[in-house]
Amino acid sequence: MSALAYRTLGLIWLGAVLFFLYAPILVMAAMSFNASEFYQLPFRFSTQWYARLADNQEILDAAARSVLIALCVTAIATTLGSMASIAMFRHEFRGKRLLQVLLFPPIAIPWLITGTAMLIFFFGVGLGRGTPAVIIGHVALAIPYVIVVVTARLATFDPTLEEAARALGADAWTVTRRVTLPWIAPGIVAGALFAFAVSFDQFVVSYFLSEPGDSTLPVLIYTAIRKGFTPEINAISTIIITLSMTVMLIAARYSKFGGDR
Amino acid sequence: MAIHPAGQRRLGVLGLLSPAYLWLTVAIFLPLSAMLYFSVLSDVPFGDTDWHYSLENYRAFWENPVYATLLWKSVKLGLMVTLVSVLVGFPCAYVLAKVIRGRARETLFLLVILPFWSNSLVRIFSWAIVLRGNGVLERSLNAILPFEVDVNLMFSTAAVVIGLVHSYLPYVILTSYLGLQAIDDSLIDAARSMGAGKLTILARVILPLALPGVLAGAVLIFVPVVGSFMEPRILGGRVGTYYGTVIEDQFVAVFNWPLGAALSFVLLAVVLGILALASPILRKAQT
Amino acid sequence: MAHVDVTNLTKTFGTFTALDDVTMDFPDGGFFALLGPSGSGKTTLLRTIAGFLFPDRGAVCIGGQPVSAVPVEKRDVGMMFQNYALFPNMTVADNIGFGLRVRRVGAAEERRRVGAALELVQLGDLGNRRPHQLSGGQRQRVALARAIVTNPRVLLLDEPLSALDKALRIDMQIELKRIQREIGITTIFVTHDQEEAMTLSDRIGILRAGRVVQSGPPRDVYNAPQDLFTAGFLGDANLLEGHADGTHLVLTDGTRIELPVRPGVFEAFAVRPESLTLSADRPRGAGINAIPAVLRQRIFAGAMATCIAERAGQSFKVVARDRDMPDLPENGEVWLSWDRDSTLTIPHAS
Repeated sequence: MSALAYRTLGLIWLGAVLFFLYAPILVMAAMSFNASEFYQLPFRFSTQWYARLADNQEILDAAARSVLIALCVTAIATTLGSMASIAMFRHEFRGKRLLQVLLFPPIAIPWLITGTAMLIFFFGVGLGRGTPAVIIGHVALAIPYVIVVVTARLATFDPTLEEAARALGADAWTVTRRVTLPWIAPGIVAGALFAFAVSFDQFVVSYFLSEPGDSTLPVLIYTAIRKGFTPEINAISTIIITLSMTVMLIAARYSKFGGDR
Repeated sequence: MAIHPAGQRRLGVLGLLSPAYLWLTVAIFLPLSAMLYFSVLSDVPFGDTDWHYSLENYRAFWENPVYATLLWKSVKLGLMVTLVSVLVGFPCAYVLAKVIRGRARETLFLLVILPFWSNSLVRIFSWAIVLRGNGVLERSLNAILPFEVDVNLMFSTAAVVIGLVHSYLPYVILTSYLGLQAIDDSLIDAARSMGAGKLTILARVILPLALPGVLAGAVLIFVPVVGSFMEPRILGGRVGTYYGTVIEDQFVAVFNWPLGAALSFVLLAVVLGILALASPILRKAQT
Repeated sequence: MAHVDVTNLTKTFGTFTALDDVTMDFPDGGFFALLGPSGSGKTTLLRTIAGFLFPDRGAVCIGGQPVSAVPVEKRDVGMMFQNYALFPNMTVADNIGFGLRVRRVGAAEERRRVGAALELVQLGDLGNRRPHQLSGGQRQRVALARAIVTNPRVLLLDEPLSALDKALRIDMQIELKRIQREIGITTIFVTHDQEEAMTLSDRIGILRAGRVVQSGPPRDVYNAPQDLFTAGFLGDANLLEGHADGTHLVLTDGTRIELPVRPGVFEAFAVRPESLTLSADRPRGAGINAIPAVLRQRIFAGAMATCIAERAGQSFKVVARDRDMPDLPENGEVWLSWDRDSTLTIPHAS
C-alpha cells in the first residue's frame, strides 16, 4: 500500500472513532428536541421537554444543589491544592515523594470503593449522609487533580524569580501574591475548572453519600433512568453535557495555551 | 531571634501542605481504614446491634461461589473492555501523533479527549437511547440496509462493553498519544535509512517505545471497569449483575455493610495488586 | 555601604561539603570576584552571604553586624541573577520599583528613584516595556538597576554576564565597572570566567572544593600563585618538572635552569605560555633560560598564536602575538626560552 493509502486509512479510522464518541451524545441531544415521548420518528422539533424541565422542581433543586456543591468544592479544593503545590515546588524535604504518591489513591482506586468507604466512615463518625458529606468527598477527589494541574504550571515557573523578590526585601506573602500567583494563575484557573468538573460530573461518590430526596443532579438522573427513560432526562442530560464540555474546553485552553506570554 | 529561619521555613511548608493532606486523610485514608475495620465485623456497630469481630464476611467470599464467579466476570469484562479500547485506541493515537500535523492535530486531540471529561453517567444514558430495541441504531440500520434487521443490543453484555469502551477509550488514546509523541521522528528515519519496512519499524521501534504509554492506559481502564456498577445497571439489565453491582446492593439495598466492606476490600486488594504490578510501567510512562 | 566578613563558614548538603571553614574579608566599596570550577562552593558562599542559605557553622557579618540568622529579605542586599530573573508580569519600571514598593517609599519617591536608576543604566525611556520586549543586554541593565535602586549595603552578582555573547559581554563589563565605581557599592561577584574576574575586580578569591585557596589583587594572584591549582586555573601554566638544587632547577633529564632569587621554600615551578619565547637558535644572555624542544603544532587565532612544543614527552604551550611568533616548520627543532625572573615559584604543590 502506498503512503497515501495508509494515511487515508488512518484518517478514516480516526473519523470512525470520533463518530463513535460523539454520535450517541448527538442522538441524545437531538431526541431532547423531538416532540415524541417515545423517540418516535419522523423527527418533529419541539422544546416542550425543556419547558417541562422548568416546571420540574425536583430537577431544578437538584441542579441548584449540584452547582452549589461544585462551587464549594472548587473553592476549597483549588485553595488547598494550590497551597500544597506551591509548598512542594518551593521546598525539598524528606517524604515529598511519598506525598506525591499519596495523590494517586483518590484518582486510581475505583470510586465504588472510595464512595462506600466514605459512607462507612462518615456514618461511623456521626456525620452521616447529606450535602456536607458530599462536599467533603468531592473535595478529596478534586485535590489531586488541582495539584497535578497547578504543579504542571509551576514547572514552567522560574524559581529564581521568587529569590529575586526575596532579595528585594519581599516577605513570603508578598512574593506569593506579586510574583508566584500572577504566573501560575492560568494553572489555578484550569485546576479550578477541573475541580468543578470532577464535582459536577461526579456520580458514584455522590450516589453513596447523598441523602434520598436531597440528591445531586447525576444521582437524580440515575434514579430516573432506572425507573424508565423520559425526554425530560434527555433534556437535562443535554444541558449537563454541554455545560461540562464547555467547562473542559475552557480548562484545556487555560492549561495549554494560557501560559504563553 | 525566636525561631531560626530554617525552622520558620519548615513551619511554612507544614502550613501550606497540611490542609490538603489532612483533607485527604479524613476523606480517603481514614475511610479506607474504616472499611477494613468494618469488613471484620459481624454487623454494623451503630445503635444497639449485637456485633463482634469475625472473618465471616471474608469466609462468605470464599465459601459462596457467587462472589468469586462475579469477581471473575468483572475481571473478564475489564479485560474485554481494555483489549477493545487498546485495539481501537492505539491506531487512533498513532494517527494523531504521527500522521496529522499542526493545528488540526491539537483540535482533533482535544475532540478525542473531551468526552472523557464530560459526565459519564449521561454518556452511558445516551447509549441506552441509541441501543434500545426499536431505537435509533436499529432504525438507522434499517433505513440504510435493503433488508430488515432486528438489532436489540440493549440489556446485553455487548451493550455494557460498548458503553464502557465509550467511557474509557479516551484514556488509552491519551496515554498512547503521549507515548508516541515522545518518540523522536529521527528514530523512524534512522530505521528507514537502514532499510527497515513499515511493519518492521512498527514492531521493532514504535511499539516497544510506545508500550509503557499503552500499558499505562490499559491499567487505567482495567481498574475502574472491574469496579463499575452504574454502566452494567443501565445497559446490562438482567445480565448486568457484576461484582460492582453486588457491592452496590450491599450498601443501598441489602444494607449488609460489613459484607459490602469485605467485598470492597477484596476488590481493593485486586486493584492494588494490579497497580503495584503496573507501577514500574506507570512510572516509566510518566517520564 | 558596608564591608562583609565571613568567618569559619561551613555548609554541607547531605554528605557533600560545599563550604569548608571559609574565612574571608570583603572590604567596603571593593569589587571582589569569587572564582572557581563548578562545585567549588563559590555560589554557595554567595548565597550564604545573600541569606538564601544558612551556614551550619560560622558567621556572616555585614557592616560589622552579625546576620547569619537573618533571612535574605531582611538583609538589605542587592542581588543579580544569572538569568536576570525579571518578573515577566511587570513592566521594566515595576520591576525596578519592586524593592522600593516593598519598602513603602511612596509613589513619588519610587518614580523619582526608578527614573534615576534607569538613567544610571542608560535605559531612560524603556520604563514601560515588558522584559520579553528587551534585548539580552537591556535585560541585564534592568536587573542591575533593580538590584541597586534600594541602595543595598552589598551587591551580589551570580554569573551575571554568562548569558551574553562575547562582544556584548565586554561592553557590559565596562558598564558594570563604571556603575560600581560611581555608586561605590561593595560588590561580590561569582564567575567561572577567569578573564572576566581579572578584568572587573580589584580582588579575587579562588575557591576549590569548598575552601579558599588564595585571595588578593588579580595581578598578585596571577603572578604569584600559591599552589599549582591556582597557577593552572588562573591562566595557563607549563609545569617545570624536576628538583630544586640551590639557585637552580634540575629538570628530569638533567638540564639545569636558573631560578629567580626569591625568599621562601618552593615546591613547584612553572612558566606562563606568554613568558615563553620560541626561536630557531638558542638565545643567549644573562638570566635567560633556554631548553630545546620539537615544535608540534601552530594554532592561529587572529591576533594571537599558540604553539605546542614537545620536550621529553612533556608538551609546552607558547602564546604570543601572531606577528611576533616566528614561522618555524612543524616537527622541527626549536628553542624555548624565558627570563629567569618570570618563572612562577609555587610554595605548595598540592
